[in-house]
Amino acid sequence: MISRRMFAGLLAGVALIPGLAVAQDAPAPFDKPGEVKIALVRYLSTGDFFQAYLSGVEKQSEALGVSLQVFDSRQDAALQADMVDQAIALGVDGIIIQHGLTESMKEAAQRAVDAGIKVVAFDVNVENAAIPQVEQSDRDLARLALEQAIKDQGETWTAGYVYVPGIAPLDRRDETWKEFKAKYPGITEKAMFGTMDNPIANSVANQARSVLSANPDIQVVFAPYDEFAKGVKIAVDEAGMGQDVAIYSADVSTADIALMREEGSSWKATAATNPAVVGEVSVRTLAQLLAGEEVGAQVIVPPTLITQAELNELNISNMEELGAKMPAFVHAEVSVSPWMKLPAR
Amino acid sequence: MKRDFNFTDFAIRYGFLILMAGLVIGFSIAQPAFLTARSGVFILQSVAITGILALGVTATLVVGGFDLSIGAVATSALMLSAYTMVIWDLGAVEAVVFCLAMGAFVGLVNGLLIVKMRVPDLLATLGMMFLLMGLQRIPTEGNSISTGMSLPDGSTASGVFSPGFLMLGRHRLDFILDDLVPLSVVFLIVIALLVWGFLELTRHGRVMYAIGSNAKAASLAGINVNFYRVLAYVISGTLASFGGILLSARLGRGDVASGNNLLLDAVAAALIGFAVLGAAKPNAFGTAIGALFVGILLQGLTMLNAPYYTQDFIKGAVLVVALVFTFALSGRGGRARG
Repeated sequence: MISRRMFAGLLAGVALIPGLAVAQDAPAPFDKPGEVKIALVRYLSTGDFFQAYLSGVEKQSEALGVSLQVFDSRQDAALQADMVDQAIALGVDGIIIQHGLTESMKEAAQRAVDAGIKVVAFDVNVENAAIPQVEQSDRDLARLALEQAIKDQGETWTAGYVYVPGIAPLDRRDETWKEFKAKYPGITEKAMFGTMDNPIANSVANQARSVLSANPDIQVVFAPYDEFAKGVKIAVDEAGMGQDVAIYSADVSTADIALMREEGSSWKATAATNPAVVGEVSVRTLAQLLAGEEVGAQVIVPPTLITQAELNELNISNMEELGAKMPAFVHAEVSVSPWMKLPAR
Repeated sequence: MKRDFNFTDFAIRYGFLILMAGLVIGFSIAQPAFLTARSGVFILQSVAITGILALGVTATLVVGGFDLSIGAVATSALMLSAYTMVIWDLGAVEAVVFCLAMGAFVGLVNGLLIVKMRVPDLLATLGMMFLLMGLQRIPTEGNSISTGMSLPDGSTASGVFSPGFLMLGRHRLDFILDDLVPLSVVFLIVIALLVWGFLELTRHGRVMYAIGSNAKAASLAGINVNFYRVLAYVISGTLASFGGILLSARLGRGDVASGNNLLLDAVAAALIGFAVLGAAKPNAFGTAIGALFVGILLQGLTMLNAPYYTQDFIKGAVLVVALVFTFALSGRGGRARG
């Protein structure tokens, strides 16, 4: 058995050299994928992003032929830790921890590692060297959107900024915003607002209306989360300021594409990582660990810039078409080993 | 000044309105853009949806009940209207009719659970809240609804939000200035007047207050208590679904949302309403003023760049003060109104 695993490992290693990649037998334990059990332990699950992430995890698991069990703690940090223990008790081979709090997950993750289970964390730092962290690069996301804003609007403008502190991805995007403000002194932040009150777009629209009437000289709104951007766009349209304000954001969905493509839309560009791709990468990273391959401490899924002009040019109207016409969006060549079957497109 | 002027009485009756006028003046000095017609109309628009929900809650408070399911009813209506137009490809009329029927039906079930099954109000509507929060997501497997979305059978949804439907949340009427008053504000005012008229001017309204203050006495007086209690929940459910329709028309898509914030804001407005004019009881006029009060505060604070948590803090503080007005001050000075 040992020699066989070594052989498979050797094969996989050789195949990593570009040009030699040919179809080959999967290494153990993926030679009998039906016997591999993995668990996804979720902290956040409501909303399009998390739904798409789950579909990515499901598709990649199916493509690999492993059986997947989903645990959903619905924002209950203590329950999420219990669920890791449940997964350990069920004897799974690998666990993906999706979001959560460092404090509550650190020990549970360590227990899983102690039990000989391979663990991957997505967007949560469990402070464990044995656990690689899959991340969508929020800093790159914000950077791409802001670079586009500089390209479109020049280096001097008055900005409105939508931000709610204390939410990890938004905090990381905020760092980039601060860097940009320092780098381009011509950018003046006139107002900062934002709320997570549900429905977010409606609440942000109310705030943005107040902000725009108090500061009618705002030229650019940086709204690094699509629900924020949606709310700002509603307010801009209601105030009849579509020509005067440009919105730059992060994340994308079918509804966002429709809004960006509306006649005279103020939503100029968004930078996004496809959550389904992040889900696929999470499973592949776990698979590499299980197959005994080397995985870095951080696995970063690169974002794509999507501009209004591109959407119009390529006539893209939903996420499927976005994936088909902007291939960078539908597949990230991250954590791919030659033996892996990728989900069908 | 007359000698029998009683300060407590005066404070109870007009304190809240004076506080509101003071806020308007204060905000206008700090930020001149606050005191414009557009800004004023906008405040109304920002409270239109929660205001309509709050009027529904008021109806249930009047009969001594409480409806926790309104937020979930509103978001269910949001999803249902989107589903009707985007996935079933039907028009605005169908969407509105389905939503109102759904709201009325949920209200009816709430009422029957409470009256026939003897489940306490809070518990029945709490159960309904969770049920709806789950139910509204089952048909789309948790996804938001928008044109072009992929359906489980592999095709894409081709329906669109009908322009007539979007008008409900977006159209503006010319009033003094062009494009000034959004339709949703008109709905809020009309519904407030209707609910006020119904509760204050009709026999039915007075009967409902009678049930709220003493259901047993009302029943002995020959009133069909159960009917009116069910009616209150039907009103509440229908108004909540109407709020959901306006929300859907404003957002232009079926957004997955819990609706808990809608519930909390609406309840806050209705409770603040207790304190207006020293009514010390649920009333439609007070509810409308309560909603407006919260709207003025939030608009002013946002214009002054106050972060969101200070807004929650101030909302809470206002509610506490309003409840003190209602319970402590009115209790000492006797009921200000009979």
